[in-house]
Amino acid sequence: MEVFGIWVAAFLTLCIYSFLYRDNPFYRFAEHLFVGISVGYLIVIGIHEGVIPLAWEPLSKAMNALWTEIIGETTPETRKALRGLFRILPIAIGLLFFARLSPSHTWLIRIPIAILIGFGAGVAIPNVLQANIFAQTRGTIEPFAAIGPFVDVPPEARLSTFDIFGAILMVIGVICTLTYFFFSVEHRGPINWLSKVGIAFLMIGFGAAFGNTVMGRLALMIHRVGFLINDWIGSFGALF
Amino acid sequence: MKRQVPLALCFLFGIAMIFTQFSPHSYSQDVYKEVINWGLIISPFALVLAVVTLIQTHATRIRLRTEHWQYSLIVFAGMIVMVLFGVPDGPQNPIVVWLYDNVQVPMDATMFSLLAFFIASAAFRAFRARAFEATLLLITAMFVMIGNVPIGDLVWNKLIFWIPGADNPESWVNSTADGASWFRQWILDIPNTAARRGIILGVSLGVISQSIRIILGIERSYLGGGD
Repeated sequence: MEVFGIWVAAFLTLCIYSFLYRDNPFYRFAEHLFVGISVGYLIVIGIHEGVIPLAWEPLSKAMNALWTEIIGETTPETRKALRGLFRILPIAIGLLFFARLSPSHTWLIRIPIAILIGFGAGVAIPNVLQANIFAQTRGTIEPFAAIGPFVDVPPEARLSTFDIFGAILMVIGVICTLTYFFFSVEHRGPINWLSKVGIAFLMIGFGAAFGNTVMGRLALMIHRVGFLINDWIGSFGALF
Repeated sequence: MKRQVPLALCFLFGIAMIFTQFSPHSYSQDVYKEVINWGLIISPFALVLAVVTLIQTHATRIRLRTEHWQYSLIVFAGMIVMVLFGVPDGPQNPIVVWLYDNVQVPMDATMFSLLAFFIASAAFRAFRARAFEATLLLITAMFVMIGNVPIGDLVWNKLIFWIPGADNPESWVNSTADGASWFRQWILDIPNTAARRGIILGVSLGVISQSIRIILGIERSYLGGGD
């Protein structure tokens, strides 16, 4: 079964690489199979890691607890499990997504969308403020706390001249990049120069991102070619 | 009614999430956790809708016998096999594990590795040093790529060998050994981080202002057109 798996994976790998020549039936087969398998896997994960543990299990426990309450055997556990009945609400809200399938009730789909968007917006404000704005600003100016002979840090923790240059460059880069995105004033005079320096930093950032992306993709390609050479061709011995 | 109710719910959930995150009270934290679970329960229904749309699209292709309609059968075959074995037993079902390991993961990796070729051809066209900015992008990308592979340091160390005094172990020249990977790391740590921080700060301010607009009902585009 393991060798069969290697052969299937190798066949599909070659099917996808055949696109380098041109679009062909083998590539289209692999592409469509990939879509089908991925969607199927997503459904399985959605059911087993979302719907069952978060909705089905609490709800079934709550129903059992409700029955226990009805027959008069109340315990603290059943009282706690009864809270699971509230899970009917998000399930009902989620079911409103299917209103899209009925033209006269399409507007109902706005309710789950509005809840998810309001929920996302509410979660985003404190988290973005904390994780992005405060943390990034702090990270930009924090190195200056270790500069100079007057600060209360051990000599070995103080920044070298080159590190100080890096810290200053970082502040200049952040300010200039932000200036480039600052559209409330016309980019003329000093603002124009600052924004041009910002563009230079952005280009370095994009270049670094591009370089890393290329290397990441090449690493994946080396891995796939390594699989074909070592695992697939290596499996010939087991078969022939 | 058709617009006011969703707007009110959006406001209510948005405000509730902000207040519960700032309040350390145990009730508040319980509400926060419960609403997070609500979000996780509601989201898969959107996935179901997406799957229904995918099924409708491919069913239409098969029914109308459009070009390459046969491949839609393969989409269904893959999806049905995965759902048939995965839904009753979960993702740990041996057939699901086999399909995941030998079909999905290899194809996923190969699809992304395919991009290496297209990125290379796009780079060939884009990396013409026509302007100062393009040159900067080109040079940075080159240094990052060269610094990423062992041959970068090897070439660097061979080059500095030609600097006078390099044969002396005490010389400053030897302190610059492995400079390609060091310089790549410096680019990533300082100028690249500065640019990314600028982008992150700008995007974050935009996210916060947009979130406030959504919660207050100023931004309503998500409601779509109509009544």
